[in-house]
Amino acid sequence: MPFKRLDQSRPFVTLGLALAVWLLIPIGVKTFIRASFFELTAPITMTASYARDLQEYWGLRLHSNRELIEAGRDLARLNASYELSVQQNSELQAEIARLESLLRLPSFTEYRYEHARVARRDFSGWWQRIVIRKGRNFGIPVGAPVIFTGGVVGRVSEVHGLTAVVELISSPEVRLAGVVEGDSRPISFQGGINPTFGPPSGVVEFVPLDIVANRNFPKRLVTSGLGGVFPPGLTLGVITRLELSPDALFQAGEVKLDERLGSLTEVTVLVPLNPE
Amino acid sequence: MRRTLVLAVTQFVLWAIVAEVNHLLTDFHVFLFVGALYVVFAALLQPFRSGFASAIIGGLICDAHAPAELFGLHAFLFAAAHVSVFHLRDRIPRDDGTARVVVALLTNLALFLVFSFTQIHHSPAPGAAWPRLFADLVCSQVFVAVVASWFSALQSRVLFLTGLDREAFA
Repeated sequence: MPFKRLDQSRPFVTLGLALAVWLLIPIGVKTFIRASFFELTAPITMTASYARDLQEYWGLRLHSNRELIEAGRDLARLNASYELSVQQNSELQAEIARLESLLRLPSFTEYRYEHARVARRDFSGWWQRIVIRKGRNFGIPVGAPVIFTGGVVGRVSEVHGLTAVVELISSPEVRLAGVVEGDSRPISFQGGINPTFGPPSGVVEFVPLDIVANRNFPKRLVTSGLGGVFPPGLTLGVITRLELSPDALFQAGEVKLDERLGSLTEVTVLVPLNPE
Repeated sequence: MRRTLVLAVTQFVLWAIVAEVNHLLTDFHVFLFVGALYVVFAALLQPFRSGFASAIIGGLICDAHAPAELFGLHAFLFAAAHVSVFHLRDRIPRDDGTARVVVALLTNLALFLVFSFTQIHHSPAPGAAWPRLFADLVCSQVFVAVVASWFSALQSRVLFLTGLDREAFA
């Protein structure tokens, strides 16, 4: 009878031993195992991504010439307005450079824009990440900011051989300093509320008492530039609710993030030109 | 060893399919968790050693795509689930397909809840996070109920094709 009982407990003993071995393995070995398993699945991720692109290409081939001509005309108009913006932007850049040299201000970090296709989106209730199709092969560094047309996407959390993982701003792990547009006082932003069938959202804390925002009069939340990771002025989301925090010294509230975060297909990584 | 590798290959197939489905579901903010499928077939029908090893490999595949600080959590939970199901398997009509699906659903429920409780503290508003997790759980359970029989059949078939099926009920 005792032998039978011992035989029955063997699986649990094995589990305990496996756990003990795992706890004793050095961090370096665990990192190696993790990277190995990631790289082992990377070809599957990449192949699926290229297959989706091919599917999209063949879908686009079905468009008629008339539709293409109309799209080309619309693009030409858009390009004309962008040309004007580029000219204004160059003048403003020159003005900033002149003021920086006059006032001896430290210049902003300069970036190289690396556009990348999204290979996989992984949005659980626990974390929000995407895998992009560029990694060490394009010099993507860990911590680099990632943006899209709607504003901030997140930051690069892992870099692999041909891919990189981006932690989205809707992820609970992401915290950064933002400012309300037109204000210079920093407030704390954290992602993490991602309801089903609804747009992602985050929370803000330490909002000064004089700032008012609600659903009817939302305020745009932008990056502050503090911390040196994200350039200032990039859209994080829109503050739609503010209420007094328990200490009554500040306000806390909710930030609605861009709905398009859930369907990203292409993003831009800002690679610092002179990393410190 | 060969049996473990064959089971691991089927787990790669499962991971690829579920990752693709989850990619397509991001528009709706729904996530499918199918942890039980990495565990149940091997725990019910395979020898302990190869099933245990394959559960750990399945866990490591999932861990490689989770945040780095969680590395090992899936593997441990899958291994614990494998040990628990293996311990109970003589009391379960494991040759019956329906029973296997029920075990898969119960295991998935347990794994999802344990995983959620380990992660919920990261959320800035845990109370607001539960409705999303509940919706994910419901969708995951429906998916597991639909896919469990197919995945079990796939694993049996692959073991048969590789000449390992004679040992399957050892």
